[in-house]
Amino acid sequence: MDAFKLMKELRVNYEQEVFYQPKETGLSLIESTTQDDSRISAKCRDAKVEDLWSLTSFFGYRTQTFVLAVNLLDRFLAMMRIQPKHLSCVSLSCLDMAARVTEDECNLTSTDELIRIGQCRFTVSDLGRMEKIVAEKLNFKSKAITALTFLHLYHRIALSHSTDRKESLSLEKLEAQLKACLCRISFSKAKPSILALSLLRQEIDAIQSEDMLEIAYHIQRHLKIADGELLLWSDRVAQCLSDYASPECSKPNHRKLQWIVSRRTAQNLHSYRSVPELPTIPESCWDESESEDSCEDAMSSGEESLSSSLGSDAEGPFFPLHLRRQKHRQYLHT
Amino acid sequence: MVVHGDTGAPLSSRAMSSAATTSPSVDKVDGFSRKSVRKAKQKRSQSSSQFRSQGKPIELTPLPLLKDVPAPEQPELFLKKLQQCCTVFDFMDTLSDLKMKEYKRSTLNELVDYVTVSRGYLTEQAYPEVVKMVSHNIFRTLPPSDSNEFDPEEDEPTLEASWPHLQLVYEFFIRFLESQEFQPSIAKKYIDQKFVLQLLELFDSEDPRERDYLKTVLHRIYGKFLGLRAFIRKQINNIFLRFVYETEHFNGVAELLEILGSIINGFALPLKAEHKQFLVKVLIPLHTVRSLSLFHAQLAYCIVQFLEKDPTLTEPVIRGLLKFWPKTCSQKEVMFLGELEEILDVIEPTQFVKIQEPLFKQISRCVSSPHFQVAERALYYWNNEYIMSLIEENSSVILPIMFASLYRISKEHWNPAIVALVYNVLKAFMEMNSTLFDELTATYKSDRQREKKKEKEREELWKKLEDLELKRGLRSDGIIPT
Repeated sequence: MDAFKLMKELRVNYEQEVFYQPKETGLSLIESTTQDDSRISAKCRDAKVEDLWSLTSFFGYRTQTFVLAVNLLDRFLAMMRIQPKHLSCVSLSCLDMAARVTEDECNLTSTDELIRIGQCRFTVSDLGRMEKIVAEKLNFKSKAITALTFLHLYHRIALSHSTDRKESLSLEKLEAQLKACLCRISFSKAKPSILALSLLRQEIDAIQSEDMLEIAYHIQRHLKIADGELLLWSDRVAQCLSDYASPECSKPNHRKLQWIVSRRTAQNLHSYRSVPELPTIPESCWDESESEDSCEDAMSSGEESLSSSLGSDAEGPFFPLHLRRQKHRQYLHT
Repeated sequence: MVVHGDTGAPLSSRAMSSAATTSPSVDKVDGFSRKSVRKAKQKRSQSSSQFRSQGKPIELTPLPLLKDVPAPEQPELFLKKLQQCCTVFDFMDTLSDLKMKEYKRSTLNELVDYVTVSRGYLTEQAYPEVVKMVSHNIFRTLPPSDSNEFDPEEDEPTLEASWPHLQLVYEFFIRFLESQEFQPSIAKKYIDQKFVLQLLELFDSEDPRERDYLKTVLHRIYGKFLGLRAFIRKQINNIFLRFVYETEHFNGVAELLEILGSIINGFALPLKAEHKQFLVKVLIPLHTVRSLSLFHAQLAYCIVQFLEKDPTLTEPVIRGLLKFWPKTCSQKEVMFLGELEEILDVIEPTQFVKIQEPLFKQISRCVSSPHFQVAERALYYWNNEYIMSLIEENSSVILPIMFASLYRISKEHWNPAIVALVYNVLKAFMEMNSTLFDELTATYKSDRQREKKKEKEREELWKKLEDLELKRGLRSDGIIPT
């Protein structure tokens, strides 16, 4: 696409983005809340967003659906005070609404399947009602300008400027990184254009491309983004991404998940862990050497079998020793 | 009045059994015999060549009670009673010798009590008499089972008819062995290898009560007679090997394994080579038998005990299980998965790393099994905290192995409960290692795109070929122009 047109589109989106941002005061309020049963805290919201990501991934929804869902969720939470127990209903409604906008009809998962997999306690009609409430409060039709919008634009601009380097800037990677950032509520306070640009800059630094850096500066100047602000968010993004990429994994909180198994399987679990009834018989070192019968008895296969089965271990300390004792005993008896 | 022929048993059993065997053609439908018809056939009643009576009823002179006799005379009376109890009665014939049967029963009862409470009764002469009495009563050729049609899991076992006496004999013998006065050094002259061999053969009895007593008897003998231990182990070895590789028939596998469990538990460290061989050559192959469900709990217990004694055996054990992994029997697969979880519960992290790749390749296959119980059991591993911690430590190796099947069945499996469980597992992986998970998702998606593209190209190619007018296009030499 024409570079000029792209820049123009960029400008337009930049001017519009403020209408789709969640209220900063609302977000700050959530951030400052401590774990409480009556208010949503940052930790609460972050965990829920991670759940949304799991569901997005599981149902094969696009990143755009996820980003849009988070945008709706943050906008709603910033303006309405809700109780933590309603959070899963709200978040699932946002996901469903976002999916209806972004996804093809054939890829949409039914609401009852959403609820079942999400292990939620409310009904389909509850979800329907919540969706209406959210749509009303946000005046939501279908459009929202998010950091993803800008990422896509930046990517296309970069592509149009340097055709030989198109392999190096991976849009998928950028999307994954954006997703990681969105899982923390603090990044919802950033202007989407700046957040996207910070991500772009991180990636450019990683691949060390002079050309790309030029383009990034170009965009920054075009949108008149202040150095200070960009730096601030770049640092935070860098921090977040280093946590995301670290080899240390966060211990999964699987205890929250329900593991429902069929009755037959449940019956057979742990069926082996029964205490045995017979008391232990300790093995004595001189087990075999007590057996005077075994060398005299014509029927004995015990002796030969012992030596043959220990054959491979002939070097072992117990092999020659006890046989020697046996021979000694035999001698004594004759 | 029942007639006893010269060869006792056949005549009486023929007189007793009223089995009306139906002709083979009615039995089978589509080549499989109908179960209802099988059940209707009356079981051939037990017969035994033991009871060769001369036609006259057995007479035993009643002896006084032990408690009614002064202490010095008791040992001799004890011996006399033992000798009397050597007489065996035919319980097939429910009407004969009722009075004498009752006398023997009450005598046996008396002997059981006597052995339990008395002191100073066990003289050296008693030992051979005790062993003789026990041998006469219990050692017998077991009747053949109701042939190949006996399904140990489904059919009722044929119970031993002379159980009223037999039970008391076993009870008596156990208390004798456990008595404080019992001296193995004297007893070993009479309880020898021949005795043990006959005892082991009895484990094939269909009567579970008898096997339970035998289990206790053999356990005590193994404990007290150090000289017989190697022999017993060797014979059990042989029984199992015959069972696995020749007959696949033996009723006492579970009981023998239970005894082995208590022996394994007591192994000294370091483990002897003989024991390790037993594990690899006998216990692992035991998993291949069709009737595994009858003794699997005991077998799994033995395996886990071995691994707790010597963790370095983990790798050969798991590789052995993977080698024998059931391919067509889902019930067995579920058992294997249960056993594997038990093993993983005690595995050392260093051992885990050695076998994680082949192990999770198999688990990945189980998870995608269309049999929902197999899939469910495999997925439930992710609910085990210890296994989860092992997976977390090695997620970079395990996740790529599991990913493709998990992702695929989340879309394709018919069972909704399985899909829900897969979500739990995928979520756990996502939280464990987000970067790797995202990479794998991206690769998987692009692989799928590529596949779809190829498929589309293939279809278009076929369409092109169809559109080509082949008939007209064929040249005289038969070559189709491209």
